[in-house]
Amino acid sequence: MMSEPTGVIHDIGYRHYEGERLGRGSAFAALAVHSLRGAFGLGRTARAKIMPLLLVTIMLLPAVVSIAIMALVKQQGMGYHNYASIMQPVLAIFLAAQAPYLVAPDLRFRVLPLYLSRPLAMIDYLGAKLAAMSVAMFLVLALPLTLLFAGELLVDPPGPTHTTEYFSALGGGVILAVLLASLGLALASFTPRRGLGVASVIAFYLFTSVVSGVFFGVFMSLGRDAAAKWAMLINPFFLVDSVQVALFGTAPSNGEGYPPGLWPCLFVLIVLAVATVGLVLRYRKAASS
Amino acid sequence: MNAVVADITYRAMLGRKRIWLLALLPAALIGMAALLRLIGGPDEHTAVILMEKFSIGTMLPLLGLIAGTGVIAPEIEDGTIIHLLSKPISRPVIALTKFAVAASLVAVFGAVSTFVAAFLLIRDESGVAYGFSLGALFGGVAYAAVFMLVGVLTRHAVTVGVIYALVWEGLVGGYVPGARSLSIQQWAQSIADRISSSPFLSSDVSLGFAVPAMIIVTVGALVWAGQRLRSLSLTGDE
Repeated sequence: MMSEPTGVIHDIGYRHYEGERLGRGSAFAALAVHSLRGAFGLGRTARAKIMPLLLVTIMLLPAVVSIAIMALVKQQGMGYHNYASIMQPVLAIFLAAQAPYLVAPDLRFRVLPLYLSRPLAMIDYLGAKLAAMSVAMFLVLALPLTLLFAGELLVDPPGPTHTTEYFSALGGGVILAVLLASLGLALASFTPRRGLGVASVIAFYLFTSVVSGVFFGVFMSLGRDAAAKWAMLINPFFLVDSVQVALFGTAPSNGEGYPPGLWPCLFVLIVLAVATVGLVLRYRKAASS
Repeated sequence: MNAVVADITYRAMLGRKRIWLLALLPAALIGMAALLRLIGGPDEHTAVILMEKFSIGTMLPLLGLIAGTGVIAPEIEDGTIIHLLSKPISRPVIALTKFAVAASLVAVFGAVSTFVAAFLLIRDESGVAYGFSLGALFGGVAYAAVFMLVGVLTRHAVTVGVIYALVWEGLVGGYVPGARSLSIQQWAQSIADRISSSPFLSSDVSLGFAVPAMIIVTVGALVWAGQRLRSLSLTGDE
């Protein structure tokens, strides 16, 4: 006598994905766009939107005030070339607040193996994060510059339009964004805790800006102006400004000038290389730990 | 005060990478003082600039931020504070103990390195070293209390603290004189000014305002943090 069958496999409708599989490039693009949106709080909780919104608003304020000045007293308000240098604390806070968000949660919740089980390689992950942070930093700077330029075109104050200044400021902005993004991500990736990442990035900025300020003051008071100009380059914002001066011939925004020649460009490349190598070394075994 | 809680907190603070942030900035301060001595600029003016800009102006808020939020914020963030809060220890005592740990760390790392750096530059000339180390000591205690309160109040403690230190004390205080009287940094500086007789040092806030303000802020922050811990909700975000 046959026994009753005890186990049944029901067809509950699981199906294979039969559509086209987008490859590595699409995964890269998806991750980069997701990270970029996240940097501005889009797709996150309302509380996560407060900080980027606030900082972008603060960045826009001088541009709005300048346009008002242009319209009312027909004078050029804030310049293009020194916008980043003047607003550097705000840019630094934006970097410090958002760079840890891009890297820390993935490390903390150990989801890197999930990313790597897709066509995405580690280098793509890092590239996407770097691209997202760079674009975010650039947008934060380029938005007020573009607003200022649009305002200048509309108001049309006396004197020539500052088209060259606008585009050289944008060029400097690209360099600044890439440099800051790689530094910020490299520093933030060393800790899985967001708070500690914020503290390290901001400590790095404050440290470099104060060290360069103190040494600048001391060298100036000793009468060693050349050494004082080198000391300015410790601050990443003035380092990029000096590159902008060397490449595009804008006026130096520290009021003193920089060491002549293309040395600043070399320094930017060295800092970029150190930061990216640090980032790659950090993530070499990050997925397994 | 609870010795066990203090012991655990000390181990959490000194046993992780955080100690590097705590130790790096004081080491950098002393290193800068040594470097300035080497390049031959150790006059009183330089020493006062270094103390004002780096020691009180940068290192102290950062140390206060790292230590003040570090003693409690990570535990709230990953939820392990529940193990501490469920013990029969009164919540204000927990807050007080955590504050004592943070304050002692800021005092040791901040005030001692300030004294060493100033002494390295100009010995005990016109009391600059004593003034600034005492200012750093009291300022550090106030920073620790305030940032610990911020750490209890919000998940974005470090960002909020950075904005206070950078935007309020740095930017707004630079342009709006009134904002300076509500800045721990300025209070520390007025203590330094009182003790040191250096002509290069001036403070905008009178000592008669700075000391009571410092005491009220420290005690107020402690009491508030203790009360807040009694009704802490552990909902996660992000």
